[in-house]
Amino acid sequence: MVCATAVLFVVCFVFAPSSVATGALAGSLPFAAILAIVGLGQMLVVQQGGFDLSVAGGVSLAVVIATHLPAGHDSALLPAVVAAFVCTALAGACNGLMVGFLRLNAIVATIGTNALLYGAIFAISGGVPEATTNLLAAIATDSVFGLENTVWFALLILLLVLFVVKKTVIGRRFELIGANPLAARAMGLKVRRHQAMAYVFAQLLYCVAGILLAGITAQPTAYQGDSLLLPSVAVVVLAGTSLLGGRGYPVSTVIAALFLNQLSQFALAVGVPYSAQTIIQALALGFGIAVYSLRWPARPLQINKSKDPEERDELVAS
Amino acid sequence: MNLSLPKLPLALAAAATVIALTAAHAQAATPSWCGPKKTQLALLDGFGGNSWREITRASAAEEAAKCPSVTSFDYSNAQGNTAKAISDIKSMAARGVKALVVFGDSGPAILPALTSVYHAGDVVVPYRVNVGGKAGVNYTQFVGSSFENDGKNWGDWIKKNFPNGAKMLFLSGPAGNSQGEEELAGLKSVLGSNYTFLNPAPYDVTNWDPALTQQVLTSEISKHPDINVIISDFGPSLVGALPVFQKFHRSIPAIVTSDGNSLGCFWEQHHKSNPDFKLFTVATGNDNVRLAVQWAVAEATGGKVPDTNMFRAPVFENSVTGKPNPVECRSDLPGNIYLSAQMSANAQAKAINQ
Repeated sequence: MVCATAVLFVVCFVFAPSSVATGALAGSLPFAAILAIVGLGQMLVVQQGGFDLSVAGGVSLAVVIATHLPAGHDSALLPAVVAAFVCTALAGACNGLMVGFLRLNAIVATIGTNALLYGAIFAISGGVPEATTNLLAAIATDSVFGLENTVWFALLILLLVLFVVKKTVIGRRFELIGANPLAARAMGLKVRRHQAMAYVFAQLLYCVAGILLAGITAQPTAYQGDSLLLPSVAVVVLAGTSLLGGRGYPVSTVIAALFLNQLSQFALAVGVPYSAQTIIQALALGFGIAVYSLRWPARPLQINKSKDPEERDELVAS
Repeated sequence: MNLSLPKLPLALAAAATVIALTAAHAQAATPSWCGPKKTQLALLDGFGGNSWREITRASAAEEAAKCPSVTSFDYSNAQGNTAKAISDIKSMAARGVKALVVFGDSGPAILPALTSVYHAGDVVVPYRVNVGGKAGVNYTQFVGSSFENDGKNWGDWIKKNFPNGAKMLFLSGPAGNSQGEEELAGLKSVLGSNYTFLNPAPYDVTNWDPALTQQVLTSEISKHPDINVIISDFGPSLVGALPVFQKFHRSIPAIVTSDGNSLGCFWEQHHKSNPDFKLFTVATGNDNVRLAVQWAVAEATGGKVPDTNMFRAPVFENSVTGKPNPVECRSDLPGNIYLSAQMSANAQAKAINQ
């Protein structure tokens, strides 16, 4: 992923230098940061062999709560942020209960939760956008060392996820359960609880992304999370996390978000028609996924070439 | 109250005069499009998820209330779902509503439903979005909006303020939307070859989404060091994106668009620090629905139909001349109201539940 992103930046530098200009990067990095945070949430769920299709609802609900409850008053921002975290955590718990404990199909369960979340979005906002409070806009868009706070938030969350998943006991158990739930159960680990918690933490990350998105967009719509669903899965797959669960790659997920964001900036900067922009993005995405997902047939060919059945069996056993 | 005999005739005469005057006033206030026949009216929205639609809905209700022959006003929202839009049309007719004003977001897909309701004897007025078909065959009348006229108004202003030509960026909604195409035709009918569009033809796709607008604008600003004018058909979606110019240490250029309170207030706050930031707006067109209501009510109640079936959004703000209006901002009210609309600003704020 690092190589692909580096190549992309070189290509951008040669063919569309405007897309890597300082101002362009400063303008587009916050959106990459939002996608990175959402991608990290989705990664936790995918690590448990699940899928979270309630991304759009979680992000949009956080956006709506963070803008509608304060209604322009900075003093009401903190309670609104707390309310957003509570609501999305409940949505995550709902997903976790259905998938982790009731063993429902993750796709079906999270689609259902998404519909519930959209019900809440309509109830709060009536589908009408509300302007961001000045305080939230400042928190999300002020710069430290030349980078907007949103980017720093994403990096902070990356470090947190990296530390918890890779360096703590609970994180190591989490990865083990994702890789082999049966073995984990045999070891006495609480498989269902870990699987359920993946959805809760994912929703909390969507909530952070939603609140920051409300901050960087002056008047966000009530459906601002819709466009994040597919990219959230794409960055996880591009980063190399298996859809069957197991080991997660937080750093690669964040780099994949940078890659996807830069790809769309490149397509825009080249100035091709909209249809061609989407084709360029799809081709690059397909190529990226193919590199990880295709099983190159080196070993099966060796087996076929082997004439001696015993030798072939040995190869298979090895 | 105890009235003595000489005062009684005087009081009666005064009361009779007041009643007569009130009746005469009521008659004068009844518009010509409001006939004597009683009717029920409904507005069927294809999508109701933004403040513009909420204000439009309230405008329709306000217009219908001017006619005493309208006994009820119903509303339905298809939430962007074509199947629901079709079922809304049929169920509203089945409930006995005789006059239907339809925002046909789904386009020609709803034409069969409109035709069947029209043939059943109801008054059907699709508006703003072309649904195909013909007036008198598939529905009573189509009330359109001249987006080409908006394009011409924008083009005229650009020509006047940039007489030697300009480099322009044109942003519209989803790819292929006919509104953007018509506006572009209007612009091109006025502007000559020394006015160049910097965006890929026909326009930069933004889906009218503030986040995507921000990303598209970032890319375009970075690519083009010399943008003179930004043209957009949804002004308020620019508000989040315009601060991007600060990141490039450049002045916001002239903006030619449709109005919105948030945009007006943004201009007030930033025009002094951005010497090139001029603003010209046309009305966002909430009042298009009023013309459609007038048509539907006139046909259903036996009133006089309006002279035109085409809504032409008037020019609203001009920061250079102040005519017909200087840039307006009501910072005490929500950003997502439209001061160009006939409905009062406070009523709009109430309509969007804030």
